[in-house]
Amino acid sequence: MAGSAFEWIDQRAAIRYLVRKGLYEAVPVKGAWFYTLGSATLILITVQLITGIFLTMLFVPSVREAWESLNYIKEHDAFASVVRGIHLWDAYLLLLVLGLHMVRTFSSGSYKRPRELNWLSGVGLFLLVLAMAITGAMLPWDQAAYWTAVVTTNIPSYLPLIGSFLRDLWRGGTFVGPITLVRTFGIHIWLMPALLFPLIGVHLALLRKHGEFGSYVNYRGAYRSYEGREVPPAPAERPIEPPYPSAPIEEEWAAPLQTEDFYPYQTFKDGIVSLVCLLIVLALALGIGAPLEEPANPATTTYTPTPEWFYLPLDQLLVLVPKELISLILFIPLGGVLLLVALPFIDRDPERNPFERPAVIVPGAVVVLFIVLLTLLGSGRLFNL
Amino acid sequence: LSAVFLQLVAARLLDLQLPAHSPSFGGENGYRAAIGIIMSVHILISGLVSGATQLGPFIEWLGYMRQRPRYDRLAHGLARFSVYYFGIGTTTAILFMVVLVVGLWGHFFTTLVRITWWPFFIEAWSFVLMVVLTYVWYYTWERMRPFKVLHMALGGMLVVASAIQVMMIDIVASYMLTPGSPDNPLRIAINPTAYPLDVHRLIANLAYIGFAIGGISAIFFWRSRSPEDRAFYDWSGSFGLLWGMSMTALQPVVGYSYAKEIQLHAYPAWYSMMFGDLSNVFLAQLGLLGIIFILGSVYFWRRMKASGAPNHRRQGVIALLLVVVTIFAVQPSWFARTYADTVTAGLNRPWWDGGILNPIGNFIPFKVGALTAMFLLGLWSVTSYMRAYSRDQIRPASTGRRSQWLLLGLGVSTSAMMMIMGVIREHARQPYLISGELTISQQQITNDQPSKKGGSIP
Repeated sequence: MAGSAFEWIDQRAAIRYLVRKGLYEAVPVKGAWFYTLGSATLILITVQLITGIFLTMLFVPSVREAWESLNYIKEHDAFASVVRGIHLWDAYLLLLVLGLHMVRTFSSGSYKRPRELNWLSGVGLFLLVLAMAITGAMLPWDQAAYWTAVVTTNIPSYLPLIGSFLRDLWRGGTFVGPITLVRTFGIHIWLMPALLFPLIGVHLALLRKHGEFGSYVNYRGAYRSYEGREVPPAPAERPIEPPYPSAPIEEEWAAPLQTEDFYPYQTFKDGIVSLVCLLIVLALALGIGAPLEEPANPATTTYTPTPEWFYLPLDQLLVLVPKELISLILFIPLGGVLLLVALPFIDRDPERNPFERPAVIVPGAVVVLFIVLLTLLGSGRLFNL
Repeated sequence: LSAVFLQLVAARLLDLQLPAHSPSFGGENGYRAAIGIIMSVHILISGLVSGATQLGPFIEWLGYMRQRPRYDRLAHGLARFSVYYFGIGTTTAILFMVVLVVGLWGHFFTTLVRITWWPFFIEAWSFVLMVVLTYVWYYTWERMRPFKVLHMALGGMLVVASAIQVMMIDIVASYMLTPGSPDNPLRIAINPTAYPLDVHRLIANLAYIGFAIGGISAIFFWRSRSPEDRAFYDWSGSFGLLWGMSMTALQPVVGYSYAKEIQLHAYPAWYSMMFGDLSNVFLAQLGLLGIIFILGSVYFWRRMKASGAPNHRRQGVIALLLVVVTIFAVQPSWFARTYADTVTAGLNRPWWDGGILNPIGNFIPFKVGALTAMFLLGLWSVTSYMRAYSRDQIRPASTGRRSQWLLLGLGVSTSAMMMIMGVIREHARQPYLISGELTISQQQITNDQPSKKGGSIP
């Protein structure tokens, strides 16, 4: 009975075909653990969606009741409290894993043609996740959330001409208040997901079209002989399987020398890494949970606001520069985004080996190191030093 | 006869009435000179050992990834260096701590150890771990060649042990400048300048060992007879320089960040460095930083030119720009008075109001601008050279003997910089040994105070 029901559905919805197409794609063999970061990102975003839907059933987005509703969860609802903890720590880990995924993609040159649009959609996803994180931090309407809202909603005002208009539009007036919370809530649960999930679909569709690039060590280009250099022998080449060869692209970077099926080889590794991520999130949610400070109090003079950890690099830059240059510093993230968008069009050299393209890798490594250093240097502020 | 001779010598010594306690070294300045000299020697050696034990395993991994034997040879050389110099570093540390600091400034050191007991405790055990790992890492190099991944894992553990050791002693050093609540171990560990000093010193040690590799390679290059050795030392010299320059390029910003935290949390020390007695020493430090960037880019320029690389003129332009930036960075010490003098003379106004101050905001923006330019130019220089290298535009062993002088000069400049930085940091908090807690004169009173038994109170 069940079998015939499945046959009936399969004849109309092509389930077997879709599952086979989804699971038996060829992926490169070497460095497969590094390719798990993308699927871990997807799993963490899915957890955000599920826990977020749950929290919307308990959270009241008004300045009078937002804090009260979360405090009720904290004091009286142990399960919801854990779910809130998962939502918070999952978001933190998501940012970290997404950042690592981008670093991996950058260092392996996976953004090069024909995968420019994969990179661009990835940059878009990164920005949307950052926006989700910062709007989410403004919702609890405790002291931390209120002052985050004051600082964050003021950032657009530094833009020339339209800056004040954008700030007032977001705030619903000159000052942060009830409308700010409602609008931020709308942005967080409707606008951002409405952009995020279709973009994830685009990102995955493009990945399927061009195939996982992986690392230069999987390609014939890594085994070119150079004068005076020792190059190890290339592994035996296997017949090219779909979706390779990628086109349009140079022959030596078009298809990996050795591939394996996405299922069960890559899915096993993906599963392990995703499971580890989920266990870390669960442990942090149970062990530390999600903090809730005192209710928002705009009149306070004793509270010292601390930024979210993922904004520490920017915060540290603001601390370092003379006050005359602060508005200039705010353009650095904007410049960074433009550079990320332009990257596949600036670095058009077909070379994928990171050791052979220092003109891109060295500045990129310095930027990454710089972000890590600024985060470390600014982390004292988390302890109100 | 020997016994009689010894008894005669002992009797003679008793007659001499040697001092029963530690010598005075001529008073406070003598103490400070003795401690300062040994401490500077200790910084020079331990900085190198820390850098070598952190960079060596990374180079070994790089060689494994790239399958290049010369990386392995260089990493092995760093391991040997660490083993040889560990003993000297330890000796100076023991001499510094036990004989000089405990012997001369016992009250201060006892107070410090009691407050920062946990960092000292962890540091001691990470030191033990580091000793074991350094020796095992070096002596199993050949035996564990078939198990290279395992050997690299040992190296990775060594990096962690070495970093922990540096971080723990940084807690102590930063606590002396910006003490937190002595009752809370976490507050001691995360005192305001602990993070910046950690980052600053870890990167400094890595840069230092890079330039040291360059300088030592230059000497071996001169001494080597076989073409293989010349090619190797030529490569290791340029590798060390590249590494040192890359790390140093980060230092202007990291160092500035450290200075900013000092400004926020230990203003008198910051004032002393920027406008007070130490301002000229600090500007000399900036000058040395500029010299390091200039010498590095000149080396790259010579090497690229000798190889016929197409963009060698670009390196020459970078070197010239770095000269201008360096002059700009140290300018106030030569052309402007100190801030205190300016205030006294009533000239602390912008030039259009008849003053001599920089209108953007005292002279700090000069330094910020110059340091930012150094960072960007240094990065440009390194990237430009590496680009030529990756395109096979640099001929191996293309440098002559004269270029090696540049590497040697870089090694010497960096060593001087490491010493001067220590001197600046330790002098900035004068008259305090622990900022706001214990002054040198308080320690002196305690030292000179006679105890009931006639000796001095420890």
